[in-house]
Amino acid sequence: MEFNIDDLPILFPYPRIYPEQYAYMVDLKKTLDAGGNAVLEMPSGTGKTVTLLSLIVAYQMYYPEHRKLIYCSRTMSEIEKALVELKALMKFRTERLGYEEEFRGLGLTSRKNLCLHPSVKREKSGSVVDARCRSLTAGFVKEKKEKGENVDVCVYHDNLDNLEPHNLIPNGVWTFDGLLRYGEQHKQCPYFTARRMMQFCNVIIYSYHYLLDPKIAERVSKDLSKDCIVVFDEAHNIDNVCIESLSTDITEDSLRRATRGAQNLETKINEMRDSDQKKLQDEYEKLVEGLRGADEGRQEDAFMSNPTLPDDLLKEAVPGNIRRAEHFVAFLRRFIEYLKTRMKVRQVISETPPSFLAHLKEYTFIEKKPLRFCAERLTSLVRTLELTNIEDYQPLQEVATFATLVATYEKGFLLILEPYESDTAEVPNPVLHFTCLDAAIAIKPVFDRFRSVVITSGTISPLEMYPKMLGFVAAVQESYSMTLARRSFLPMIVTRGSDQASISTSFQVRNEPSVVRNYGSLLTEFARITPDGMVVFFPSYLYMESIISMWQGMGILDEVWKYKLILVETPDAQETSVALETYRTACCNGRGAVLLCVARGKVSEGIDFDHQYGRTVLCIGVPFQYTESRILKARLEFLRETYRIRENDFLSFDAMRHAAQCLGRVLRGKDDYGLMVLADRRFRAKRTQLPKWINQALLDSDTNLSTDMAVSNARRFLKGMAQPFRARDQEGISTWSMGDLRAHQAKMADEQIRELQEREGEREFGGGVGGKGAGGNGDAESDYDMDNDDEAELMALDGR
Amino acid sequence: MSRNKSFASRGGTTAASLGLPAPISGDDMCPVCKTIRYLNKDMEFLINPECYHSMCSNCVNRLFNDGPNQCPYAGCHRTLRRKGFRSPFFGDLTVEREVDIRRRVAAVFNQHEDDFETLRDYNNYLQMVEDLTFGLVSGTEARRRDAEAQLQQWEAEHKIDIERNRKAGREADELSRRRIAAERDAARQRRIEAIKEAEEEKLERVRNREAELDTMADAPEGGAGGGAGAAGAGGQRVELKRRKQTNRAGETGAAAAGSGGGAGAGAGAGGAATTSDVGRLSIRGLKDKRRAPAPEGPYDPFGGMDFVPSRYKLHEGLSHPQIDKYRDRAHNTGGYSFEEYAARAMYEAFAGLAVFIEDEKEVGIGLSAGKVAGISAGMAAVGSDEMEID
Repeated sequence: MEFNIDDLPILFPYPRIYPEQYAYMVDLKKTLDAGGNAVLEMPSGTGKTVTLLSLIVAYQMYYPEHRKLIYCSRTMSEIEKALVELKALMKFRTERLGYEEEFRGLGLTSRKNLCLHPSVKREKSGSVVDARCRSLTAGFVKEKKEKGENVDVCVYHDNLDNLEPHNLIPNGVWTFDGLLRYGEQHKQCPYFTARRMMQFCNVIIYSYHYLLDPKIAERVSKDLSKDCIVVFDEAHNIDNVCIESLSTDITEDSLRRATRGAQNLETKINEMRDSDQKKLQDEYEKLVEGLRGADEGRQEDAFMSNPTLPDDLLKEAVPGNIRRAEHFVAFLRRFIEYLKTRMKVRQVISETPPSFLAHLKEYTFIEKKPLRFCAERLTSLVRTLELTNIEDYQPLQEVATFATLVATYEKGFLLILEPYESDTAEVPNPVLHFTCLDAAIAIKPVFDRFRSVVITSGTISPLEMYPKMLGFVAAVQESYSMTLARRSFLPMIVTRGSDQASISTSFQVRNEPSVVRNYGSLLTEFARITPDGMVVFFPSYLYMESIISMWQGMGILDEVWKYKLILVETPDAQETSVALETYRTACCNGRGAVLLCVARGKVSEGIDFDHQYGRTVLCIGVPFQYTESRILKARLEFLRETYRIRENDFLSFDAMRHAAQCLGRVLRGKDDYGLMVLADRRFRAKRTQLPKWINQALLDSDTNLSTDMAVSNARRFLKGMAQPFRARDQEGISTWSMGDLRAHQAKMADEQIRELQEREGEREFGGGVGGKGAGGNGDAESDYDMDNDDEAELMALDGR
Repeated sequence: MSRNKSFASRGGTTAASLGLPAPISGDDMCPVCKTIRYLNKDMEFLINPECYHSMCSNCVNRLFNDGPNQCPYAGCHRTLRRKGFRSPFFGDLTVEREVDIRRRVAAVFNQHEDDFETLRDYNNYLQMVEDLTFGLVSGTEARRRDAEAQLQQWEAEHKIDIERNRKAGREADELSRRRIAAERDAARQRRIEAIKEAEEEKLERVRNREAELDTMADAPEGGAGGGAGAAGAGGQRVELKRRKQTNRAGETGAAAAGSGGGAGAGAGAGGAATTSDVGRLSIRGLKDKRRAPAPEGPYDPFGGMDFVPSRYKLHEGLSHPQIDKYRDRAHNTGGYSFEEYAARAMYEAFAGLAVFIEDEKEVGIGLSAGKVAGISAGMAAVGSDEMEID
């Protein structure tokens, strides 16, 4: 369908539109016009991606600036899905407009997924593929080849140089499959095609890391212009991604291998000194002059890039005491030996970077400044030595990254040395965690650089938490409710078992037989009444295992077995995917199955249980994080001291966002239906932290149920759902045709006019009080927004 | 033994002459008495910085308790003393030795970045020191002797500077250590406060709830609303209190940051050294520290403005029959000074002279003193060009 928002003509590739999709577009456009950041929550299964893409593509095409879209998603499958959506959208646009637009959309993923080289692509590990690819495509390899030396090169990569650099691939939207096929046909490397074409794309779709992780972002996303529109989809976990991108773990094994790497470097240097003194001398001269080859930092085949963020980068010459290659290697060895000695300590140590540096200086005479240049110096050395088997130096690179980070940041980081894996372990296995505590550090350059950043997800409540944690100001913060023609999902909070004893997974009571039995009977009851698939989420693997074994002893599993097949998620990805496969088969042809999984596991994040695959989701216990973890404790303390977020607030926020993710798994569209059962006493108090669309559907009478009441409610609900439901019933309520949309727009316009008139009247009435008029202006605007929502809600109620 | 080989290839004669052993690992065997860790669980290895040969503590006691003895390693003829033994900090003894040498070098070459005119000079200096250290650690015999000589020479020549830098460095270290300790203390304090706060809040909430229940119980029908209101007020009180505490916490945080900044400023202190004769060790680019910076004078509230009158001079022995009587003590009250009086009279008499408003408007500046001298003469209170009253 085709319609206008303000002056912007939008082509929407479906004949109907959901009201919340329209509202989302209006808000998004407002954000883009004003140039600010937005946090938007839209229920899962309401076509968030297509809404976003169709608005932004229309925006790009209509306005002369042609602002580029950078769409970041979490997993490979989500990226692929978005690309397919984009392709369909562009096809629709071409049909409607009658001509093909000048448009290029590309996705980027790792070399492993995009490699065509016959032997490299067979490697299993991503880092090996990266390293081997670099050794075939590095700049010096090509130079050698030109000199006539016999070196291996990649034909696919070298063919790219014969093409025009700004037109490596024709216009259009390229999914990964399409890109691979095109690459195979034209014998060109899909990975580098995508990398090099990024500047000439209208839409780029890739993973968060390409923008957030400074080690990658520096190389990949540096040339993107300031007016790009950045969208983080599925962003409810974005703070963890930020933190992970700046944290490193160092183990004894990695130190051992780093030592070996340093030794190899030393041998190489000695070899080179004997054979090719000039190169080392050149490098040295360059470092003395403080020259940094303009293109060096960005070279796509660079060994590693500086892990610090661009703002913190020192634009200075490398310090004198690591200028010579042999000095630098000795420096690295000293640092590694120091770390090894620190690892020998048999007690937990947590210290701040300044105190670490002070200790380091006292024992090894390593100053802070050369340490900061560690990563850069190593890159330069590796390039000079023209190393090909780069994967051997991976651990050394990790150590250098760590060195640079620890010397750069004083605040927001912590070093934690854990000598034992668990409290009961006898054999030491020390790990040095260098953890970033502040999610805002990694994402700050993104907010600084781009004018519009949109953070969106199906479950991103409470909205105000994200701006606080990530340190930005949101121009628009909106949560959309789901308009439904019938009440198609039933959230319930079960706080008591059938015997009226309260149920909870808090540490004190979680293993009490009565609690376990009550959870068991809840499971049995719901297994009995649920048609097809049912998903159960536990707070942790540990608890899941213990409760399953207790259920086995109580004969509960046998009871469930009568109604459904039982499948269990394990930490092993392979096993889990087999279990999922079986689960789906069972749901499609049989009485269905129960899938027992973990709220923070793989199943809870990326896998959809639409239609018969999931009719009930049962969330046993509030999925709190493991609070005894030292890293988490440090982070909580940091949050309290820096952002004034209290420990309990953060923990409960984090638990509820995971719970909401779990609940969102079953409802993947408007014709879908499902039960959502939250089984814990503590959920009652946390109800407000659920996303708005779930919270609205949760009736007050359903917040304090016992098992039998919940079951009878569920029975009634399922009976209602069994009635025939035609697509026509939804029209005008939860789906709008063109006519409905026009009516809505007209109504909105009327309302706006009335609003303006009223204000006009007020101003006349109020006379000379100018300040008050301005205040009233802002108020009226927010009132208007609320009206919009309320109205949508009323419509939904009418339909019930 | 790959390590040994690589070391030998790098270390040249030094390594060969010292015959450094392979580094010990956790369950190694004592190379002297061949005891293994399995037999002696608490085996501890010691080294002597004379030759860096490691041996277990039992061997050390056995061999060196009766006074100095030769190192038990074959081919090592150094005489070691019990006192010199210590346990190594690093697992790799080559690094241990290197760090010991570095300690010596760092004690002598302790210039700071601020002591140099440009960053480049500083970097060159750093490289020079590193070269010298490398010479000491792994150079050839000749190179080592050279480096040693340079080191000693420098030390002898720049004793004062070195001492000063060392002192400054110690102070900076002390400061930073104190800062870290203070930060840690503050963090602990805040943590305790937060816990206390949370507990208080919980208590308060319980109390509120009880109060609410009490009012509900006491009140007749319809009193529930009032009870709820009271509870609400209690909740507000908690909220208010929390906010206040957060504010206070914010202030302490800011104060801590301030003190940290102050401490950092103290770190930059410097020493000095200048060039020496040809052939000797010399460092270029050092700031000339010989000239001590001019001592800062006392604080001047007028910022260097001079109030000495330019047109007349005040004389000590001012006398005139008209005013002589004022000199008399009997006429004076406490706090009255004749000189003050005379100075003020003179100032008032000359005030406004040589100021021509029209000219200033045009040019924007006052006239030179010489130009007005003639005019002012006629108008002078005492009648002479130079204010001289005898």
